[in-house]
Amino acid sequence: MIIESSDRVSRLSWFKRFPIPRNFNVTPESRIEKGRTWPAPAYAKRVKAFEIYRYDPDSGGNPRLDTFHVDVDDCGPMVLDALFWIKNKVDSTLAFRRSCREGVCGSCAMNMDGTNWLACTRFISDMGTNATIYPLANLRIIKDLVPDLTHVFAQYAAIEPWLHSKTPEPEKERLQSPEDRSQLDGYYECILCFCCTSGCPSHWWNGNRFLGPAALLQAWRWLTDSRDEAKGERLDALEDPFRLYRCHTILNCTRTCPKGLNPGKAISEIKKAIVEREK
Amino acid sequence: MNRRSFRSPLARALGLGSAKSGAQHWWAQRVSAIALVPLCLWFVVSIVAHAGSDYAVFVAWIRTPLATSCMVLLLIALFHHSALGLQVVIEDYVHSDVRFAAIVAIRLGCYGLAVIGIIATLHIAFGG
Amino acid sequence: MIKNGTTDGNSTPARPRPLSPNIQIYRPQLTSVLSIANRITGLILSLGAVGLVIWLGAAAAGPQAYGVVQSLIGSWAGQVALFGCTFAFFLHLCGGIRHLVWDTVHGFELRSIYISGWTVVVCSVALTVTAWVISLFIAGWPQ
Repeated sequence: MIIESSDRVSRLSWFKRFPIPRNFNVTPESRIEKGRTWPAPAYAKRVKAFEIYRYDPDSGGNPRLDTFHVDVDDCGPMVLDALFWIKNKVDSTLAFRRSCREGVCGSCAMNMDGTNWLACTRFISDMGTNATIYPLANLRIIKDLVPDLTHVFAQYAAIEPWLHSKTPEPEKERLQSPEDRSQLDGYYECILCFCCTSGCPSHWWNGNRFLGPAALLQAWRWLTDSRDEAKGERLDALEDPFRLYRCHTILNCTRTCPKGLNPGKAISEIKKAIVEREK
Repeated sequence: MNRRSFRSPLARALGLGSAKSGAQHWWAQRVSAIALVPLCLWFVVSIVAHAGSDYAVFVAWIRTPLATSCMVLLLIALFHHSALGLQVVIEDYVHSDVRFAAIVAIRLGCYGLAVIGIIATLHIAFGG
Repeated sequence: MIKNGTTDGNSTPARPRPLSPNIQIYRPQLTSVLSIANRITGLILSLGAVGLVIWLGAAAAGPQAYGVVQSLIGSWAGQVALFGCTFAFFLHLCGGIRHLVWDTVHGFELRSIYISGWTVVVCSVALTVTAWVISLFIAGWPQ
């Protein structure tokens, strides 16, 4: 009932989806159709069913939901291990991004059992009876579980994530006290997996103009950096009814961050800074 | 090639640039909310305390200076908060050009209703 | 042949890329459910505000008009609507106070978010029931 950290999986089984039709309000090319079922290997003792979103751009068809039966004893403990098992032993056309397999690169971000997380740090045992794997929500899909991140990365670039300096470069380092450096804690660790932005309902409805929690968290990271000299210009660029103020503190972002960061708090700090310079 | 637009992704993300405003709307929403907390609680407590009473009792209650002024303040704060909130809802969900007309209609409607409510209150308080 | 989509994601190919499902598959959590409840109750209260003005206008028009409106409120449908408005009011009030606390940049740890969220739900129900029990006690139980 009380979630202490974002890696706690919700156990409620009766309220897994909002009570709306599966293909509610989707454009024709995004309608998900029934897919095929891949049987479990005959020798497998412990089998888990995975329903995985598939889309083949070369086939000309719509996305579909394939069901794979995975031999849990034959693969590692994480969902990413199950995806590798499927790709190696069942269907080699399954496409997904992956790199570090330890939760630090952000490549394998996807929606598992309704929430966004990294596949390499989500235990198979934490998934429901029929584990569902979808790509990150509300993004254009290139193939299977690979979303097109161009727009969200462009929104990140739009906040100018580099040091703005006006005073001439110092001869050695730009000095920063430990207290000033601690202001960056909780913000610099972002791995840009976009779990938060993809899980934000405001970004679903206004993603073309609302920057989203990931970009805004990084905007605060640069605002709160004591070495940065363009706070006013940064706040000017952010103070916009759509870029910043589409955030209504829904807090799906903080709930879903796989690194335990707090984009909702960062956005609240930005709003507070904007009001502070007015009053 | 049938490209919809040759704008770069960064240009599309930057859009028309920052409006450099929006804090005033956010602040007004919060100030009206803070005002509404005691005013609404006063209203609900008064209604509960006068539950089941008739017209004469109701008029006598509105005629007290405290009730008249609190009711007027409640209507002002309530419809300002409501206008701002409904504008945000329209901005969130309506994306066609109807948006501008809807926001204007909602704002005018809220302020019109506030004026009607205030005049009705004053009519009860100062009328015969 | 033009393939589906391109690497820059900017062109209109022969067949546009599908959009991954969002609200259709995303799990409802306390965060999103209480947020949409705050919005829905706000919309209900906006309608309630219109009702408030109608009620005040009827009272200003005289005892007959006021009597008509009071009998409407006193009907079963009116009482159900009033109960719904009361619950919507308390949920929006408690949720609004939670939002005001967040605006001071406090209470953002997940534990605090969940504790304050459940507090809002419990307090809203308790306040609604209390208000209705007291008012029914004062007015006398309906015949």
